[in-house]
Formats: sequence, C-alpha cells, structure tokens
Amino acid sequence: MKKYNADKMPLAQYWYVLELNVKKSIKQQYRNSTLGVIWTVLNPLLNMLVMAFVFSTIFGRGNINMDYACYLLAGNMIFGFMRGATTMSLTCVVENRDLMTKTRVPISTFTMAKTVTALTNFGFSMIALILVMVVQYCRGQAVVFGVSMLLAVLVVPALFMFSLGLGFFLSTIYVRFRDVKHLYSVFLTLWMYATPIFYSLDFIKDDIVKKVIGINPMTIYVDIFRNVFIAGGAMDWMQLLIGFAWGIGMLLIGLLVFHKSKNSFVLHI
Amino acid sequence: MADKDNKNLNTEPSKAPKKHRLIKDLQVQTVAHIEKTADETVKNGNIEVDGDNFTNNLNVLVSVNNVSMRFKLPSERVDNFKEAFIKKISGKLKYKEFWVLKDVNLILRRGESLAIIGRNGAGKSTLLSLISGIYYPTKGNIQVRGKIVPLLRLGAGFDLNATGKENVFLNGAILGFNKKLLEEKYNEIVEFSELKDFMNVPIKNYSSGMLARLGFAIAVSVHPDIMIVDEILSVGDAPFQKKCADKIAELQKAGTTFLLVSHNMTRVKALCQRAIWIKDGGVVMQGTANEVADAYSKEYSK
Repeated sequence: MKKYNADKMPLAQYWYVLELNVKKSIKQQYRNSTLGVIWTVLNPLLNMLVMAFVFSTIFGRGNINMDYACYLLAGNMIFGFMRGATTMSLTCVVENRDLMTKTRVPISTFTMAKTVTALTNFGFSMIALILVMVVQYCRGQAVVFGVSMLLAVLVVPALFMFSLGLGFFLSTIYVRFRDVKHLYSVFLTLWMYATPIFYSLDFIKDDIVKKVIGINPMTIYVDIFRNVFIAGGAMDWMQLLIGFAWGIGMLLIGLLVFHKSKNSFVLHI
Repeated sequence: MADKDNKNLNTEPSKAPKKHRLIKDLQVQTVAHIEKTADETVKNGNIEVDGDNFTNNLNVLVSVNNVSMRFKLPSERVDNFKEAFIKKISGKLKYKEFWVLKDVNLILRRGESLAIIGRNGAGKSTLLSLISGIYYPTKGNIQVRGKIVPLLRLGAGFDLNATGKENVFLNGAILGFNKKLLEEKYNEIVEFSELKDFMNVPIKNYSSGMLARLGFAIAVSVHPDIMIVDEILSVGDAPFQKKCADKIAELQKAGTTFLLVSHNMTRVKALCQRAIWIKDGGVVMQGTANEVADAYSKEYSK
C-alpha cells in the first residue's frame, strides 16, 4: 500500500514549475554581471583563443583535417554542455533545501532545469561557433558549409539524455556524500583529457588508451558533431546509434537511482 | 491497514470496487463538484454506514493511519565518502534510532479546524511535514484529499537567492497555480503582504517577519482546501497578526479546513473546534479544543 496518497501534480503544472526553475537558473548564472548573457557567447570564444594559441604554438596538434579553431571550439562546446549540466546538477538538490523541507515540490525539476540551462548555454555558444566558422571560411580555411550540417543537431538529444541521466545520478549521491563534488571535478579533468577535444584520435600511439578513448561516449558525441557540422562529412549512423544507446542507458540508470532515494532526500539535506 | 481493507472487502464485497471507481473519477473534477457529491452522500445516509473511512467518506480530507516515524540519528554526522569509508571499516558508524512519532491516528474532516498542541520536540512539526507529503512515514500511511497548502516554520519554502516576485510565482506554481491565475493573483498577493517595494529584491535580504508575510499571502490566495499552519502567526508584528487572524476567520467561514500548531491556548480555543495533544510522539488526548487546551494548561501550570 502507498504510504502517502494525494493527487499527483498534473503534467502541465509540472512543466510550468520546470519553466520557472529554468528561468530562475538562467538568470542566476549572470547575476551581478554587466555583460549578462553575452558571457555565454564570449566565454567559449575566449577559451578557444587561449587553447588555439597553446596548441598551435606551444604543443603540437597532430593531424587534423579541418580548421583547428573550429575543431577546438566545437569539441569544447560539446564537452562543456555535459560538464555544465552535470556540475550544476550535482549540487542542485541540496541547494533547494529550503523548498524541499517546506513544500512538496517535484524534485526532478531541479535537475531538469540545470540541464536545460546548460542546453541554452550551448545554444548561445553556437552563435560563437558559427561566427568563427564564417571568419575561418572567409580566410580560406577547411570549413564546409552545406545543408547536411543540420544533421548535426541529431547528436543533441542523445547528449542531453546522457547529461540529464548523469545529473540525476550525481545529485542523488551528493545528498549523502558531499565530497563527491571534489572527486567529480578531478574525474572531469581526466575525462576531458580522455576526450579528443584538442587532439585527434590518430595522435594516440598506445592501442589500449586508444580503445578506451574510443569507447568514451563523449568521444562519440564530439566526433559526430565535428564531422557533420564543420567538415561537411556524412553522418555515421552507427556511431549516432551508439551515442543514443549511451544516452538512454545513462538516463535510465540516473532515473532509477534518483527515484529510489528521492523520498529520503529531505532527511539528509 | 491491510486488516482494515480486508474487513471492508468482507463486509461489502460488491460495493467497494464501484465506490473506488467513483472517487477516482471525482478526483479529476473540481472541488465544487466533490462538495456537491459529498452532500449527496450525506443525504443518502451513507455517512453512518461508512464512518470515517477515507475511501468512502468524501468529507474526510486527511486520514493518518497508525503512522510511526523513525529518524536514524548517526552518533556523528557523516556526509562524505572518506569518513563513511573509515567508519565502516573501523565499525564505528552507529545509528541511534529515534521514534519521533509512534502509532498516531488522526482524522481531519471538511471545514473543521484542528489544533495540534504539545511541547517543543513532541513531534508536532514532523506530523505536519508528514501530512504535507514532505516526509514519508516509516510505518502506516497517510491519505489526503484536496489541495493542501503547508506553511511550515518561517516562510513557505523559498529560494533565498531569487527575488520576491520570482518566489511568488515559483511557490504559487508548486501549490498548483498556473501562469494565468498567478498573474491575476499577483497584485492581490503583493497587496496583502504589504511588500510592494521589496518584490524585486532577493529574499535573502528579507527579515523573518517579511518572509512569513509573503508566505502567508501566497498561501491564502490559493484558496486551499486544507491549510497547514505551523506557529507562523507569532512572527509578524501585531497589526499583521491581526490581519492574518481575520483572514483565517474569513477562510474558515468560507469552508477551508485548518490544521494548526500553536503554543497559545487562547488562540487554539478561539480558532479551533478540535485539538489533539501530542507528547513524546504519541497522542495523549483528543477532543474539543476547550477540553484539550485546558487539560494541557493544567498539566504544565503545576
């Protein structure tokens, strides 16, 4: 028998709470900053400039068959989406302590809102990417424009599900173990280096490392997005399918863990 | 509870499933409709037959059945992997079990006001949190019918970093308002809370009295079926307290059901018909507000 029986929140109302949480979360990112949302475009651009400088002058960059600035920026955007969504999700349940101890709030909206916030940031940084692509195209670099680049959008839902699932998982664990925050930031650094963001996969000599990096779901997302969006390559449907499998699998794991413990969250925050 | 169900099934095997379907249908319809049907139920004389059974009696809004709540208090608070791991291998992770509530039963009927009284730490707030659906009981179950608005401790569940306006909308949405309704009600809420000049300020800058005012203003504008009030009235200044008391009286007249915690016996007698006295997690006494409040005052004036 159910321990608490009352009307569940209707779906339309759930969406409205989610919408308000998303708006709040987007707004809070840029509180006290004059440039506000422009940072979302500027941030990846500046980052790209630093990395492009470091990897074209200080370190080598291996064999890359497309424009390096775009290559970097696109890789960073895809990884940045996942990183932003998951690090924001990590603390979001605990941050809403006050709401949770005083009202019956749909807790999953917090994690959803953070992932949607990361998605809007991703959308804004697309402006930066397209800008850089146009500039590089005019300079005669290896950038290809075409209708087929629209297919790159297909990678976003898979990445969204993957990030959301991981976000659910992390926010659940964080309620019990607060040092996950530090562990995860170390893990993210490792993960970033294990994703071909500023190098290409051919650059790796060691076979085992190459295999591990190949399995890494972020490699799949980054690869598909860059190939289709920048280099004008054909969509590798098999890769996309694997990307979706990762996304759906992660989401299921995240939801399972989250729903199993969400009723006891309020006892631990 | 399982026994009770079985008994029901044994006595009215053919009736039970039909009733169940009726209620499920009703829950999606408007409150007014439920009220109408409830009146019909009374007319048909079903109330005597069904008694206080939640499923059959539409006038029972809250039914708390044999609820016990256990908190596990670790001897030290462990909230990270490192300590949990060390404590686990050294076998030092010990929990002290603490029953905050023991086998509590409670019925709240439509339109009545029930006070919960007891000393600090008796379990009153835990009981309110359970009924609000914030905690889930360790044993037993809780059934609720209708829109429930909890006003627990200070404020009503706010995001301290968001502005007053954002919080009105967020809180209102959690309580079940849609966008259109909230935009209609917004001015009313601001006016009642007397916080017009502060609506665009993050509420972490509010005083505790201001938070309570905003929370109360949102809650009363929702026209809840059940309102849960945890000692919130003692926060505001005297004029606002009076305003709240007037508003509660007005809502009571309009048929809102109240569940409130108070340490002020005069207020309990004035506002409530029934009272329940909780001590060390168990119910000591239930009865009319006057009886219970007097007994409580007598016990602690010795």
